[in-house]
Amino acid sequence: MREPSADKEPFGLMAEFRAPEQLVDAVRRSREAGYRSLDAYSPYPLEEMRQALGMTGNVVPWLCLTGGVLGAAAGYGLQLYTNDAYPIAIGGRPLFAWQPFMLITFELMVLFAVGFAIAGMLVLNHLPRLHHPVFGVTDFHRASADRFFLAIFCNDPRFEIAETAAFLQSLEPLRVEAIQSTEEPE
Amino acid sequence: MAQIFTASADTRLRAAALLGVVALVMALVVLGGYADSSYATLVGWVEHQPVPFSHQHHVGELGIDCRYCHAAAETGAHAGLPSTFTCMTCHSQVWTGAPMLAPVRASLASGKPLEWQRVARLPDYVYFDHSIHLSRGVPCVTCHGRVDRMPLMSRAQPFQMQWCLDCHRNPAPHLRPPAEITRMDWSNWDEEPGIHAVYGELMTKVYGIEPAKLTQCNICHR
Amino acid sequence: MSETASDTRITAEITRIPLHHPHMRNWWLLFGLSLLLLGCFFVAAGALFLNGVGMWGNNIPVNWGLAISHYVWFLGIGHAGTLISALLLITNAHWRNSLNRFAEAMTLFAVVCAGLYPILHLGRPWLFYWMAPYPNTMTLYPQFKSPLSWDFFAVLTYLTVSLLFWYIGIVPDLASVRDRAKTRRAQVLYGLAALGWRGSGRHWARWQQAYRLTAAIAVPLVVSVHSEISLLFAAGPIPGWTSTVFPAYFVMGAAFSGFAVVLMIAVTLRHALSLRDIVTERHLDLLARFLLATGLMTAYGYVYEVFDALYGGEKQDLATLHDRFTGLYAYSYWGAVIFNFVPLQLLWFRGIRARPAVLFLIATSVVVGMWYERYMLLMTALYRDYLVSSWGEYHASLWEWLLFAGMIGVFLAPFLLFVRFLPVISAFEVKEALRETGDLRHA
Repeated sequence: MREPSADKEPFGLMAEFRAPEQLVDAVRRSREAGYRSLDAYSPYPLEEMRQALGMTGNVVPWLCLTGGVLGAAAGYGLQLYTNDAYPIAIGGRPLFAWQPFMLITFELMVLFAVGFAIAGMLVLNHLPRLHHPVFGVTDFHRASADRFFLAIFCNDPRFEIAETAAFLQSLEPLRVEAIQSTEEPE
Repeated sequence: MAQIFTASADTRLRAAALLGVVALVMALVVLGGYADSSYATLVGWVEHQPVPFSHQHHVGELGIDCRYCHAAAETGAHAGLPSTFTCMTCHSQVWTGAPMLAPVRASLASGKPLEWQRVARLPDYVYFDHSIHLSRGVPCVTCHGRVDRMPLMSRAQPFQMQWCLDCHRNPAPHLRPPAEITRMDWSNWDEEPGIHAVYGELMTKVYGIEPAKLTQCNICHR
Repeated sequence: MSETASDTRITAEITRIPLHHPHMRNWWLLFGLSLLLLGCFFVAAGALFLNGVGMWGNNIPVNWGLAISHYVWFLGIGHAGTLISALLLITNAHWRNSLNRFAEAMTLFAVVCAGLYPILHLGRPWLFYWMAPYPNTMTLYPQFKSPLSWDFFAVLTYLTVSLLFWYIGIVPDLASVRDRAKTRRAQVLYGLAALGWRGSGRHWARWQQAYRLTAAIAVPLVVSVHSEISLLFAAGPIPGWTSTVFPAYFVMGAAFSGFAVVLMIAVTLRHALSLRDIVTERHLDLLARFLLATGLMTAYGYVYEVFDALYGGEKQDLATLHDRFTGLYAYSYWGAVIFNFVPLQLLWFRGIRARPAVLFLIATSVVVGMWYERYMLLMTALYRDYLVSSWGEYHASLWEWLLFAGMIGVFLAPFLLFVRFLPVISAFEVKEALRETGDLRHA
């Protein structure tokens, strides 16, 4: 799903809910009603939300695996290369000794796997993003505390401001509000 | 709630991040360049000396042998810097009144040695012995450069560990007959490949030089 | 109390701390003290840079001294933070959510202290980057078959992974603080640190994947790091360091000392910041049980070491064992045994586990005991080598003790800044656990 660019007017519609179950339910019903360009906001992760939003991608785990393989290869390769290019014959140790090479191989595997997973997560999430139209919604500061929000964005083919607002109202939220687009250009 | 950041804040954040990355890369490039620059290695930089002694004049034009002044090179760990008496063997007869040589005469009169500034200098954690290098035929010019062309003495080689190791890993091409150790110009050495191509290989065998041992840490770091 | 009402309360209770710190006067007192200690660090390290390691008491044969025993000690303490937050996350132990944030912060700063010690011990500390494999003018790379270069990679990886894990764990709470901040400066600073987190469901899904994967990888990482530290000992032919129990013994000792420090911090914070209903008595009880369990496992290491020497029958091993019991440094052996395991036995009683002050004292005793253990492992083995010619004594110089005091400052000063400016408890994870278990006492 792609969000619309921030200068669309209105950016979308936002409904506010009191409980997590209501939000999950609202997302399910919106998707059943055919809305696809939507997002849910909650103060903590909701296990059911991934499924409710219809997210199927496992890009982060695959990135993690890729990072792990790359890191292990880099770690082992580094030790092979350096021992080949600049041999240090010392202590009677064989030049290529896989046993002592394992630790650095493992450490770099971990480093790369974690780095890839976290950097991948941030990139896929388009973070950091300091300014976002949803921050302008009244009460949205409670999305990081105790309220639950559903947004339907204007680039959804079914998005029709009055109709969509009516639909959101039918989900029995606390309020429905239009998400204003970005402020006037400076 | 109100927006905390303007829409352009993200652009500025990204620009700052990019700037940070560029600065980091630049810093690495500059550091890497510095490590190999003559600014760090002092190659070609002249030290200030009490007397502006010219190797070009004494070695190149007059043909004085290196060992006349650096007498201990073949027998000791340090080649040694000449004492005032060494200078005075000639300069008590020639240029006796030269103002340039006033510090030498003063040194002789007071008995206080001249304070020469060392040009070719290794770190204190490196063990280096001139005698073994000379007796195996590493000529002066390999490390000290064409001093016969230096009006003022400057460092000819970077004296970095990689430079030492280049030779220790493969000493054969650098060996010359020990009898000609102070010869400065070896440009015609390779012109006679028939005679000289195998010289180094042969001599490593004769001397029993094992490059594997030459690269052990404690050869130089004792 | 309705569900979201408790969400509101938890958020308020945790975010109020960075925004309106409840005990500024006490905080400043402690922070001033930690700055004083930090000053000691700069004095001790500065003197070391100027004069070299000759200022310290270590010399052949005891060339490690306090620097390395503190390295092992600090790193071991650090491990508990990762174990609590990663191991208990992937095993779905929700009670960890009240403890993980400050435990992870403790890990970070302990690892920084640990990492500084080997660097200062190098002799030419400013050349520590020689441990990194980079193209250089020496045409040499580090010796990768040496545990010392393993150290470099292990500590670096551990520090980076701990930092990343801690940071992505704190981002949603920073967003929460940002949304509750009143002053412009606080909004901008917390806003930048929160990366513009907005709690999107799509973000949470990917975040959870990354967070859980990191946790799953961090657990074997902890084991590998402290096993590597034990190989630092066991890779050498020193009598007393050759037992095969070393990696496990070290990892358990690490968890043991770390849980003790987490317990100390938990007791202090819940008292100082009035967090009794988030860090409940049940949490302290569980921590105490963990402490007891890891303590018994560490005790097994002691027993096995004795058994190993006796069963092996190697003359030098027996001599080292004898030295541990009666030698010059016997006080460190018996100190370790007594401080580690005697007060610990009180934890068998439920009544004791419910008394924070007593728990704090027991944990302190364990921290002291583990300090003795690390010291004992070094001294008793190094001061008597095979040959009488390499027998010697070690007495730490005042500079080493000053550096130790300084290191406490290196740990305390950033930790106090953390307590002052960041959410010390993971508010969103407590709320999540609350939703899933329905009971704050289990959350």
